[in-house]
Amino acid sequence: MTALLEVRELTKRFGGLSALGGVDFHIDQGEIVSLIGPNGAGKTTFFNLVSGMYPPDQGEVRFWDEEIGGLSADQITKLGIARTFQNVRLFPNMTVLENVMVAQHCRTNRGVLAALFRTPAFVREEAEIRERAKETLAFFGTRLVGYRFEQHASSLSYANRRRLEIARAVATQPDLLLLDEPTAGMNPRETQELTELIAKLRDDQGFTIVVIEHDMRVVRDVSDRVVVLDHGVTIAQGSYEVVSQDEGVIEAYLGRPTTGERPAESPAGI
Amino acid sequence: MTASTVAVAPPRGLLSEVQPRKVLMWGLVGGIAAVFISAIGMLEIFDRRKIIDPFLNLGYAVLLWIPLYLGYSSSKRPVLEGIEPPRPGAHNVVAGAVTGALSGLITGTFLVIADLVNLRGILINLTPRTLELLGPGEEPVTGALILIAAAAVVGTLGGALHLLPPRYLSALWTGMLWVFLVAFLELLIGNVLRQVGLIGVDGLIYQPSRGLTPVAALLVFAGAIAFKLTLATRASQVFSRFEEIPDTGRRRIMLGLALLLLALGSYLPSLLGTLLNELLSNVGLFILLALGLNIVVGYAGLLDLGYVAFFAVGAYTTAILTSPRSPKITPELAFFEALPWVLLMAAIAGLIIGTPVIRMRGDYLAIVTLGFGEIARLLFLSDWLDNVFGAAQGILGISPLGTSGSGIRVNFGYVVAAAGIIVLIVGFLRWREAGRIERAEADPIPGVSYSTGPGMAMMVGGIAAIAGGLAFPTFLTWTVIGINPPSMFRIILVFVAIAAFVSWRLEGSRVGRAWMAVREDEQVAQTMGVNTVTNKLLAFVMGAMLASFGGALFAVKLGTIFPHSFEIVQSIIILVVVIVGGMGSLRGVALGAVVLIGILGGPTQPGLLREFGEFKLLLYGAILVWMMLQRPEGLLPSARRARELHEEEEFQDAWLQPRAAAPAESGGGQ
Repeated sequence: MTALLEVRELTKRFGGLSALGGVDFHIDQGEIVSLIGPNGAGKTTFFNLVSGMYPPDQGEVRFWDEEIGGLSADQITKLGIARTFQNVRLFPNMTVLENVMVAQHCRTNRGVLAALFRTPAFVREEAEIRERAKETLAFFGTRLVGYRFEQHASSLSYANRRRLEIARAVATQPDLLLLDEPTAGMNPRETQELTELIAKLRDDQGFTIVVIEHDMRVVRDVSDRVVVLDHGVTIAQGSYEVVSQDEGVIEAYLGRPTTGERPAESPAGI
Repeated sequence: MTASTVAVAPPRGLLSEVQPRKVLMWGLVGGIAAVFISAIGMLEIFDRRKIIDPFLNLGYAVLLWIPLYLGYSSSKRPVLEGIEPPRPGAHNVVAGAVTGALSGLITGTFLVIADLVNLRGILINLTPRTLELLGPGEEPVTGALILIAAAAVVGTLGGALHLLPPRYLSALWTGMLWVFLVAFLELLIGNVLRQVGLIGVDGLIYQPSRGLTPVAALLVFAGAIAFKLTLATRASQVFSRFEEIPDTGRRRIMLGLALLLLALGSYLPSLLGTLLNELLSNVGLFILLALGLNIVVGYAGLLDLGYVAFFAVGAYTTAILTSPRSPKITPELAFFEALPWVLLMAAIAGLIIGTPVIRMRGDYLAIVTLGFGEIARLLFLSDWLDNVFGAAQGILGISPLGTSGSGIRVNFGYVVAAAGIIVLIVGFLRWREAGRIERAEADPIPGVSYSTGPGMAMMVGGIAAIAGGLAFPTFLTWTVIGINPPSMFRIILVFVAIAAFVSWRLEGSRVGRAWMAVREDEQVAQTMGVNTVTNKLLAFVMGAMLASFGGALFAVKLGTIFPHSFEIVQSIIILVVVIVGGMGSLRGVALGAVVLIGILGGPTQPGLLREFGEFKLLLYGAILVWMMLQRPEGLLPSARRARELHEEEEFQDAWLQPRAAAPAESGGGQ
């Protein structure tokens, strides 16, 4: 397998705080990788660097074997990386359909004059954008279709907002999908559904997916590989079973016991 | 027990529902407001405008409006879900009366003081006539007592309004609004009636002083109330049915209505006199400018306070290119030959100003654009460039038409040829697309059918139009003369239509969606693949180009331009028009210009009510403050914008909803 995304020595500092201190790892095409770690480990910073919201201080980010560190967010999206946000950030006053339509901006190119005179190419492109938006939303079952198309994103339920955010990211037609805590705040049934959906996104649509996740059942069910970050460095990677037994990981989550021996078994949830 | 407290509030004392702090506050506000409008001389000047002759003039209407409105407000409770408001009753009336009396007391005290001490050294507008009006012709003390009594009575009425069912209350407001509107529009209505030969009707409605006759006022009042109570619900039903029509059908109806409006608009000038036509062209000019700013502020969310710079660039480019008396460069082009260059210069100016400021956000952007607006004006004013722009002397003799001064000669042959070019290109594209679909080289487009026939017909028609237009360029000509307002208004209307068309087409396109996304959340828009820099620049440039249309027409209208015409207040007024009308809404922007520029008047242009002239900026400010408090989304908002601004209130009320549901259930159980 070829490495789709390769990160070497990735470093980001905010003032004196080193959010990422030389992260190395790679993501192969067609993989689902979970990125886990305690709060403040640098997971979201990693996403922000890869998706171009901040430039990295040092190190390289290679996508399709091409350096993308320092490109702007829209250029990176155009190259094929899309993301969702930990705190859902939809366009709240645009309709569900418009949210997904606007995400196809970088895949379409009709400009002002075409729009003014409604040239056939413009009409065709608009129809295609609309059609593709509907198809993308249909992937999420019946939740975001029909009358929901014209509803405003702000009127959706929390779980539906998360789904819409994923749909919006999918609509940019990426190769690599970065999902930042997709199941946060969902109930167990919704979480289960979304777990299956993430697997389906890979199997049916062929996306490579990186998930930041705190729910260890999701991590267990969905990931081919788990990467653990702590204090801005990778402390472990491998299959879920390997990582969940790793002493360094357990320590990162629970801290070093001050007295007595370390727990023999890994605590529930890790 | 919980149920009983909700269902029947225990009887309490009459006064326990009166909120003394609120009454005191509104009473003070009322008193200060009344003193303020008297002291600045508003009362005296507004006194000249009759509303209902001989009973009411604008001065007293404003003065009495204060206790009426505040008497109503002082016992108004915010509607909160889940909290039972106190029943309307005597306490409302008492609160209203006290508020009114308090504000009257302050005004009366002021009257007495003003009589004892000479305040004119400080308040130069506090004329004896104002004092005479305040205490209606009586001795100061008697006058003050009359003032207190009148304010208390009106305040009582205001409080008593709470006793009316909401339906009748809103009908009452509507009735009052219409009486004022018909009185304010006397010039317009009188003009139209005279032109259609119904001068007798005019005599029935208006007194020679141009106030309404009491009978006419009563009829208008009763008619508006009757309409509101009977037909208004049906009208709103029709409207909601219209809203349910699918998008394409609705767009077609809207387009039809717009064309009808355009036809009516181009007929309107022949019904009106010079003064009103002048006013209409000013309104049109401001609609044009506001439509341009609406793209920048309303669609893309970039607060541009230096918008007048683009207006100036349009005006100066037109002046330099068309005037034989421009200081240095005198190509002496015709207006339409100059227009492409005007657009180009505006686009370049948009890029020059836009590029450095586009990376800023919100307040910073506003301040920097404000600075650039002033820089542009100072460049036109500077002695350094006086051999190009003429410095303070400006440029005279713009777009001359022989002896008739500035103007525009429209040769319809060229118009037909230009339209032919567009039809030819669109026809060719359709023909090609249809051919591809027929040869199965491309998939058919869902919901649209192209066939080669109409495409071919459009191409032939286009070529014919180009050939015909160029062969007979002057088969029909129309001369627009700057100092002839009807013709000026018509050509402004054409450009307004173009601007509205551009805005409308862009709003629903890929570019429009990108602007919307940038307005909602710039960072996320960028992460979703929208190139924010180019799209924001594009909004800037589109806005600049529409403003330059306005500038070009403005230059021709006046025939001379000076840097003085492009002061910062112009930018502010255009922005106020957009805000008051409703950001992002084409109808709203047009209505905003009609109301503000038409009735109050523009920065230098008089409006329908000349009495407002001196207090124009004060009134602009007051309207803006009131709008921000009561209707931040504007008069005719776009649905999207309205939600954006009321979102927080909905969130604030959200916590109340479970509580609202609970007592209702237990109450129903009893």
